[in-house]
Amino acid sequence: MSDVAVAGGQAARQRGQGTAAEGIWQPPDTRRVLQLALAAIWLLDAVLQYQSFMFTTGFSQMLAGTASGNPGVIASPITWDARLVGHHLVLVNTIFATIQLLLGLGIAWRPTLRVALAASIAWSLGVWWFGEGLGGVLNGAASPLNGAPGAVIIYALLAVLLWPSDRYAATAPFPAARAVGAPVARALWLVLWGCLAYFALVPANRAPQALHDMIAGMADGQPGWLAALDNHAASLLAHHGLAASIVLAIALVVIAVGVYLPRPAARATVVLAIVVAALIWVFGEAFGAILAGGATDPNSGLLLILLALSYWPSRAVATAPEATAPAATGQPAAGQEGAVA
Amino acid sequence: MTPSWILDILAGLMLLVAAISAGRLVAARPWAGSPGDADIDVAHLLMGIAMAGMLVASLSTLPNDVWDVIFAVLTGWFGWRVYHESRGEGVRVLADGHHTPHLVHSAAMLYMFVAISAPAAAGGGGMSGMSGGASAMQTLNAPVVAFIFALWLIVYVVLDLDRLSGPGHGHGSYFARPAAVPADAALVGAAAGSGSVGLATGSAAPGGGDGSVATVPPQATGPGQPTGNGGAGSGSTAGSARALLLGPKVAAGCRIAMGLTMAFMLIIMI
Repeated sequence: MSDVAVAGGQAARQRGQGTAAEGIWQPPDTRRVLQLALAAIWLLDAVLQYQSFMFTTGFSQMLAGTASGNPGVIASPITWDARLVGHHLVLVNTIFATIQLLLGLGIAWRPTLRVALAASIAWSLGVWWFGEGLGGVLNGAASPLNGAPGAVIIYALLAVLLWPSDRYAATAPFPAARAVGAPVARALWLVLWGCLAYFALVPANRAPQALHDMIAGMADGQPGWLAALDNHAASLLAHHGLAASIVLAIALVVIAVGVYLPRPAARATVVLAIVVAALIWVFGEAFGAILAGGATDPNSGLLLILLALSYWPSRAVATAPEATAPAATGQPAAGQEGAVA
Repeated sequence: MTPSWILDILAGLMLLVAAISAGRLVAARPWAGSPGDADIDVAHLLMGIAMAGMLVASLSTLPNDVWDVIFAVLTGWFGWRVYHESRGEGVRVLADGHHTPHLVHSAAMLYMFVAISAPAAAGGGGMSGMSGGASAMQTLNAPVVAFIFALWLIVYVVLDLDRLSGPGHGHGSYFARPAAVPADAALVGAAAGSGSVGLATGSAAPGGGDGSVATVPPQATGPGQPTGNGGAGSGSTAGSARALLLGPKVAAGCRIAMGLTMAFMLIIMI
């Protein structure tokens, strides 16, 4: 960080302190809005975790099922965890749900933002292993349509990208780059969407009936209109699994490299990412099967949309970092150094 | 089903919200001057009672049909208030309006009472309340509506928390409107250094004219520090408590608790 930026930051802090002292409420900036969206999804997760189904053995069986096909070193702890949950269902599930509730409330409450985001990263990594079996990445079951590489890992990614730091705010071309810098943020985006493209083309997903079966399978237990949508989409893809997988993979590759393109093209690819994520969420994931009951989270589609929004190219790079550091950092008036860039 | 002790805790919380709302109504004395947020407090009072009854069958008070009418009236009332607000603020009122969250709360309650379907088999979703008997598990028709309402309520919860924890949350009328606070409450708030010294307006002078109430903006809600002026007795303490009760933090806290509990109920009844 340059001296100029530091000086600017001090000046901005002084201005900000004045603002805080005057007690004038300011609307949240883009990054804070994204943080609040993440908080809302954590709260939704918490509420879902309090559902009746989660207090039955069905939940521990669901956990145990994620061990299937994974290497022993990954699978054994999952099996142990599922057994533990099965023996203390009410207590453990209540703890799980309450942790997620606190994460959501903590991210929304500005003074606890950093603690909650850090805790959410640790929690997400734990759930990714013990609750999702690493999202099926190692057992060949991962597909962009079924939540690969594990919805919960995207929570962790978002927590990193939306971390309330403005270290790179002066040069950040999009909100996700403010804390980690544009090169790192772009690399993370490339890896995520590149992995999704790869998963779309693995043999299990490019088989003639693979996409059909996956989407048709989501229709069970859904409200009539959603089941009809899924069944219709599945019938369109019947016996066209390879072609559909190739088209999907091409779209995902375009999205993956899109953040390296000039701003108008980058915006177009972010829009494409949102559209693809929405299609995945509706047709592949049936809104995370929330309407059928028994879902623990809204699955990856909604998270991918939120992630894409955090990469929306800003209007101008070398301007104030959305000028509302208090909202972004969770601390009153900290880190407005970008204003001098 | 969801353990009954969780439902008991939430029912207790809703009764607490109802009690606080009743306390706010009494403290604001809407019959003596400015109505403040009387409509919101009445709505919270009714919602708290209704939700406690939905969560725990033994706390059920009125038949569902009566609640249908009550929440239809409340939804219509807050719809009217939001319409009036939107004439000044436009669509911004959806995110920033004083009455919009209460419209959503009322509509969600109306939906819950109208959309109750036949009891599901034991072990399914739902709760035991709502005039259905202790063993009946209630679920909702049109679950997508429940999901949308739950998401909407959660969005208001996080927005409220963000606003409440940010600078300047006490300014404006987002959480609580200036209400008619007894003059002693206003004066004690000022003496306690709550920042309301220059904010109490209107006929705050004791003994002056009708002087029984002062219009106090929402930020005049100091936690009632000891005044140390010797003149503050039990009456002053009561006044301070009144000021606290009528403040934006209490209003926001009730709204957050109610919104989160309502979202919980909607989701577990899908």
